[in-house]
Amino acid sequence: MVTLDVRPQLLDALSALRDRVAAARFPLPLAGAPRARANRDELLAQLDDYLVPRLRAPEAPLLAVIGGSTGSGKSTLVNSIVGRRVSEAGVLRPTTRTPVLVCHPEDQHWFSGMRVLPDLTRVWTPQQDPKGDDHARPPGRAGGNVPGRAGEKAGERVMRIETADTLPPGLVLLDAPDIDSLVAENRILAAELICAADIWVMVTTAARYADAVPWHLLRTAKELDATLVTVLDRVPHQVVAEVSRQYGALLAKAGLGDVPRFTVPELPESAWGGGLLPSSAVAPLRTWLVHAAQDPGARREALARTARGVLDSLRSRMPELAGAAAAQYAAALRLTSAADAAYDSEHTRVRARLQAGAVLAGDALKRWHSFPLDCTAGELLDALVESLGEMLLCAVSAADARVDESWRREPAAAAPGLLNRTPGPETAEHRIGMAVRRWRRVLEEYAEDEADRLGRSVVPDPEVVAALLATALLGGRRARAAGEILAERIGAHSALRLRDRGGKLLTEYVDKVLRTERERRLAPLDALDVHPEPQAELIAAMSVLQKER
Amino acid sequence: MTAVTDHTDHTDHTGDGEGNGGGNEGDGHARTDGHARAEGHARVDDDSRTAPSLPEEERPLQNRPLGGDGSKLADDSRSGSGSDSGSSGSGSGPAATHLEKDADGTDDSGAGKGTDSVLGPESEGVWDDGLIARRVTEPTETVAPPLRPFPEPPANLAYDGPLRSRLDALRELVGLSRTRLDSKTLAEAGRVLDEAAARRRLSGQHTVVAIAGATGSGKSTLFNALAGVAISEAGVRRPTTAAPIACSWSDGAGSLIDRLGIPGRLRRRPLQSAEAESQLRGLVLVDLPDHDSAASQHREQVDRILALVDAVIWVVDPEKYADAVLHERYLRPLAGHAEVTFVVLNQVDRLPEEAVEQVLDDLRRLLDEDGMALGEYGEPGATVLALSALTGEGVAELRELLGQFVGERGAAARRISADLDAAAAGLRHLYATGRQEGLSEEARTEFTDRLADAVGASAAGEAAERAWRRNANRACGSPWLRLWHWLEERREPSTGRLLTRVPADEEPTARQRVEQAVRTVADRAAAGLPTPWAQAVREAAVRGAQGLPEALDELAARAAVPPGRPPRPGWWPVAVLAQGCMTLLQIVGGLWLLGQVVGVLAPNLGVPALLMAAGIVGGPAVEWASRMAVRGPARRYGLEAERRLREAAASCGRARVLDPVAAELLRYGEVREQYVRLTGAAGPVG
Repeated sequence: MVTLDVRPQLLDALSALRDRVAAARFPLPLAGAPRARANRDELLAQLDDYLVPRLRAPEAPLLAVIGGSTGSGKSTLVNSIVGRRVSEAGVLRPTTRTPVLVCHPEDQHWFSGMRVLPDLTRVWTPQQDPKGDDHARPPGRAGGNVPGRAGEKAGERVMRIETADTLPPGLVLLDAPDIDSLVAENRILAAELICAADIWVMVTTAARYADAVPWHLLRTAKELDATLVTVLDRVPHQVVAEVSRQYGALLAKAGLGDVPRFTVPELPESAWGGGLLPSSAVAPLRTWLVHAAQDPGARREALARTARGVLDSLRSRMPELAGAAAAQYAAALRLTSAADAAYDSEHTRVRARLQAGAVLAGDALKRWHSFPLDCTAGELLDALVESLGEMLLCAVSAADARVDESWRREPAAAAPGLLNRTPGPETAEHRIGMAVRRWRRVLEEYAEDEADRLGRSVVPDPEVVAALLATALLGGRRARAAGEILAERIGAHSALRLRDRGGKLLTEYVDKVLRTERERRLAPLDALDVHPEPQAELIAAMSVLQKER
Repeated sequence: MTAVTDHTDHTDHTGDGEGNGGGNEGDGHARTDGHARAEGHARVDDDSRTAPSLPEEERPLQNRPLGGDGSKLADDSRSGSGSDSGSSGSGSGPAATHLEKDADGTDDSGAGKGTDSVLGPESEGVWDDGLIARRVTEPTETVAPPLRPFPEPPANLAYDGPLRSRLDALRELVGLSRTRLDSKTLAEAGRVLDEAAARRRLSGQHTVVAIAGATGSGKSTLFNALAGVAISEAGVRRPTTAAPIACSWSDGAGSLIDRLGIPGRLRRRPLQSAEAESQLRGLVLVDLPDHDSAASQHREQVDRILALVDAVIWVVDPEKYADAVLHERYLRPLAGHAEVTFVVLNQVDRLPEEAVEQVLDDLRRLLDEDGMALGEYGEPGATVLALSALTGEGVAELRELLGQFVGERGAAARRISADLDAAAAGLRHLYATGRQEGLSEEARTEFTDRLADAVGASAAGEAAERAWRRNANRACGSPWLRLWHWLEERREPSTGRLLTRVPADEEPTARQRVEQAVRTVADRAAAGLPTPWAQAVREAAVRGAQGLPEALDELAARAAVPPGRPPRPGWWPVAVLAQGCMTLLQIVGGLWLLGQVVGVLAPNLGVPALLMAAGIVGGPAVEWASRMAVRGPARRYGLEAERRLREAAASCGRARVLDPVAAELLRYGEVREQYVRLTGAAGPVG
């Protein structure tokens, strides 16, 4: 006998866990991410739509969800159990697009609120005459003007609620869309609805009982240890015995031999869903469901089994989610470290080049050669600054190219915005140009300061001093002469001090430029907000729950 | 029998053909056999796989299969590829056809062998002598009257011009792209080529049609209904059919069925009736297992065979016609194969009459959503019809359509064409992207400009210009000014030329500028290219850029302004002379005035003052004039210096970077052209 005692602590732990699951994000397109996302959504749906409401209100009516492949006659089955046309049935597939919930009028308050399935907008249909004009409607799509569809807006998912006196209180039937529908939303919705069920009623047919998709669902039900009922529908009466035996054998082989199994024969009525099956055809199923809903023992067992199944399943599903979260973080870390490595190595290269005086090359070198006779100090400074900017830009684009290359091998880098970046209004060239020009201005200020401090009668031109200083700083070994002249002009002490300050300034600016560019490069990744915490939090929430059980 | 080599298989197979073709033939048969074997032997020798004792060993085997019909199909299948290559000897395509014409349809041996043989283009040359030998003995062999139902041997499948050209294009495309793309990307294209080549070697008289569908849709029932006999087991047990079954309406399809990998025990013949035979002649029907049951090996079989058949009949039923598996996994990807697709709504007997049209319309709508063209109103596309295999309703219609379809004999080519379309669509992202303009002139100019900057061309030119002008000004300036300069230089030496230059700088080229220039031009060239090609372009640029800075270094040293005094223009001495004259005038005027002051000379203020004034005004005037005059030549001199460096750098960059990049772009252009050819009439590639 399975029992279920519900303590407030358990509920608290469960809602904490639910919040953690809801907070888990899998933004990087890793191989396991879609699956993890689906698992998360499914788990969330099961927690929100089933487990938490069920544990909060154990006395709520039993929800039996009728699920199955397209064309297996779910709607006809529901209609037949209820005894009147509540769900549209037809020959065109997929028939049921809007889930239909059927309950006793007394039970309606349980479902009118957002207690379960909060994502679905409720649509009510006015109470119909039980022996209404069912047969007046032509079968199929011709009669497709079902009230539920009227309230259906684009993007809004609705659930139609029908009440029927013929259904005993405490039992609620939900006609779900096809689990293998051609319409993808239908499939997702069907899975969500099945997650909310106390009793899973899986409908298959004589033609379908070996299909892969329903079997997948059956195996899931077994894994979750849900209260499961299978219905073999639309069996031509000539082959009832054989098909039923075959199906039973398949079920037994899958370890589902003890699942209650009902066989509904194919009758002319089931062919196109126009009418209802005779009550005798669905009587065993109806009896079983009513028994499960009304007999206290059976009811408790059905409830507890599914609830415990879900709780137990958390033990394997939560670590899976946590693992996926960890994989996300690991991938993000790999991306970051690849970018860091690229920028670090470029940074090292820039430093080495500065040391070697690579800035004093090309135009700048030619200018320096003709300075001061054929070249002004301003021109020399311009050339040096441009050359420095060019070197930084080269380093940044080389680093970016390396990042691109190593990221291209990472599946996670396929996330939008990581590769194939669209350059913003201001390019790296622009930003680097600003930085080096600013450096030049500060350097000129330093030179002016130093010239003022000299206090000599013949003050050397600050621009010349700045140009010489810049050459000495950027030219490395090949600009030794510049340092000597500088020392000659303003004194060895001042020259040393200037070079010291200027050198520090240069390092500062180069570091800043490379750091900014690296941050910009990593900004889209940072925006995805992948942290190591979700993994730990998921595991922690799970262990709290385990303790409370 | 089980221990024989594939040579034995081959002859075995040949005999098979004999048996198939002429069960009721006369004596002449044995002779033909012997002959064929001799030829087979010769062929073996040709292949330098000598087996001299083979014919003797085979004699008993040779005669054994003459009797029956169906039982030998097993041997047929077992022989596999060995039989394919071997048997091409006895009935090479063109040779056999030729023979047939010569013999006026009476040579049974050629026909008999031809029916089951695989025809290779290479066999033509090999069989030259055999053909002659055969022709010599022909008249004596036509003893038995021909009684075979299908006298002509199946000719090779021939593709028409456009299709052949498209296949060639794909082959070229794969060949050209192999070095750029990984083999996985090209696998599908390679498979299409292989299948097209394999199908081409097989009979063009036959059309292989597979019946596919979900479990329980009634594939086997339909198969049986078409065949007229219960060949395939139909039942309620799901899944029913586990292995594909083939049924051939006429002879000579053995090798085609071999290709599908269907063993001999699963090959059947339809109910023998003249009417059905003439209607569906050339049809090879294959009953497939289901594609949606829990047994995954069924799905694998279906996928394998669907890739090989010429056409497919999809069987759906009212319950399953909207299954996601069917539409998403099969019909949507195969939407391009609409022309070789039949979609059959089976089990309409389970539906009320008025619902059939509704369901059929819904099915058509779903197919339309899948992107499959529907063959309505005479347009090419998939054929959709409703039938009941159980009651036979609509089967006759399908039979008629199939007969028409098979009679056209175009299905195989159309299937290959659709495969090509699909392969082209799959490769589209590799060959056709938004825009592709190659390397613009602007980008080339920018690249050479950057290189010129890297070697400092403009700065060097400016420096040369200024130096030249400075020298000229100094030369043409007034001597007083030069004197002053000289004095100043002596007093404060550091304002002069700084120090003696370091003889030659190592690495005068700005490495970072070269690197950046190469990267920019590569990015420009690669912009808009599909990724692998963009990568190739970048690699070509980077490869070319290796050693580029060093080359530029060397070149800068060579093309730089030659040391020493720059050349002087012809008028320079005149200017110097004029300047000297002016100075002389000043001195003369001064001396004259001095002489008057001293009293040596007669007082005459006017003339000496005028002389001196002329000298004083004329000196700067000459200086100014020569300064003006020097401007042009100095500029020319500087520009010339700049141009030399710039051109040297540009030619270096062109040779090392731009040309390889352009070559890579050209190769891409070629591939793209092939791709356009491949897409054929599909319209221009955007």
